[in-house]
Amino acid sequence: MDSVFSQLCVLGSSLVLLFGLILLWRRGVSAYISAFAWQSIVLSGVTVVVAYFGNDHELYWVAACLLLLKGLVIPRLLRRMARRFAAERELEPYVNTATSLVVSGLLVLFGYAITRPLVALSQLPTRAGMPLAMGLILVSLFVVISRKKALTQVVGFLMLENGLALLAVLGTYGIPLIVELGVFLDVLMGFLVMQIFIYQIHETFESIDVEQLNRLRH
Amino acid sequence: MTMVGYALELAQAALALLLAPGLVGLVRWLKARLQNRRGAPVWQPYWELAKLFQKEVVVSSNASWLFRVAPFVVFASTVAVTFLVPILAVPLPFDGVGDLLVVVYLLLLGTFFLSLAGLDPGSPFGGMGASREMTVAALAEPTVALAIFALALSAGSTNLGQIVARTMADPAAAVSPGHLLAFGALFIVTLAETGRLPIDNPATHLELTMIHEAMILEYSGRYLALIEWAAALKLLIFFSLLGNLFVPWGVSVVLTPAALAVAVVSLLAKLVVLAGVVAVLETRIAKLRLFRVPELLSVSFVLALLAVTSSFLLR
Repeated sequence: MDSVFSQLCVLGSSLVLLFGLILLWRRGVSAYISAFAWQSIVLSGVTVVVAYFGNDHELYWVAACLLLLKGLVIPRLLRRMARRFAAERELEPYVNTATSLVVSGLLVLFGYAITRPLVALSQLPTRAGMPLAMGLILVSLFVVISRKKALTQVVGFLMLENGLALLAVLGTYGIPLIVELGVFLDVLMGFLVMQIFIYQIHETFESIDVEQLNRLRH
Repeated sequence: MTMVGYALELAQAALALLLAPGLVGLVRWLKARLQNRRGAPVWQPYWELAKLFQKEVVVSSNASWLFRVAPFVVFASTVAVTFLVPILAVPLPFDGVGDLLVVVYLLLLGTFFLSLAGLDPGSPFGGMGASREMTVAALAEPTVALAIFALALSAGSTNLGQIVARTMADPAAAVSPGHLLAFGALFIVTLAETGRLPIDNPATHLELTMIHEAMILEYSGRYLALIEWAAALKLLIFFSLLGNLFVPWGVSVVLTPAALAVAVVSLLAKLVVLAGVVAVLETRIAKLRLFRVPELLSVSFVLALLAVTSSFLLR
């Protein structure tokens, strides 16, 4: 029973991480968005698995919220934004694709290294997924700093949030529902604020390339 | 017992040699059906090979002995691999002769000689093809080794037969993340190594971006037949590696006629399924630009790296 549980958790976490890595290879903004949407759907699946095996009914609600908010609503809003900005492509990130893939592989290894004491200490059957969640957090940080378009950076930030949620679910079987709801609200507010920022950037520069912001210095 | 084992080795190699052109024909036929064409029959490649063996050989006057030797080296190294890869049964008497590293390097030997032969007559296409093939091989070969290493780590042996036997003994390992990531990596590399669609287009030799076809453009007659046959055999080897290493059920562990019959049937089923997947994939996607190929291969390298990491740390 426990071995099935831990297998499923590791499998789900690997899939979640995999969608993060797929994102690094793709170029179109819509590909970024669908990678994020699928990642959120798998994440809510992992949450359901933890809820079922950990016998925690509140987690079902968390999973439903995740699916609704990050799997459906935010991707739809993102797609609308992408259409409005005529789907600009992330053609030239600061780091080229091959290098960023290798770097993210190394970041995942680093994630394994830094969560080692945590995994050694934990007795939970979910512990094997924690390094993968940490890897996802590092990879999405890398996405945020290495991409030029504001929209792709937002997707990176949302993925970072997914990584944190995964770590919380695996490490503690989820935090209380009320805290989780607060986090969701925060994500939504953060997203809306970023949306406004992006609209403003677009208004000012007629592009959402953040490199243009450098011109503000002069 | 050992006599039976050696006979089985020979039978396995002969079966692989016989099935290989049919597999290529099957992929072509499925692809044609998916694209609403009637398509040549599945056994068309056999007729093509028979025809090529009867044709005379035309060799450029610039070509050296290397050009004549290369087809035999390519064919022989690929046939040698069929003795080492678990296609029908495990364990085989030749398991002790070579493990996964030998398999990887034998395949690389064939690639190396083919590129040399591409350079030898001095035609611009051959040189272009050879340089591209080396670019792809340099990225693909380490990934093959690394992906199978991920399995070897969880099985505790680099011997391919042992890996199959261990996965059969412990079915839960087949869905572990290490195995799944390694499968993804090996699948991408299979497409690259056998010149399938996102990397190379097997259907034409009229493209400027061709890789495999550019190298063998100068060949004709029985030399070309040997190279084509070896290429088909390579496809079969990679498919049976994918099928038997990751989904080992059906491979015979005892040498009884019934078990061997099951092994042949399950091998055919796995080959048909993989041929279907490749045909659908080739219909759905377009060829990648040449400069994006290293990016795709680095995806598969990272997958293999993660597979090794997770098999190593989650043992």
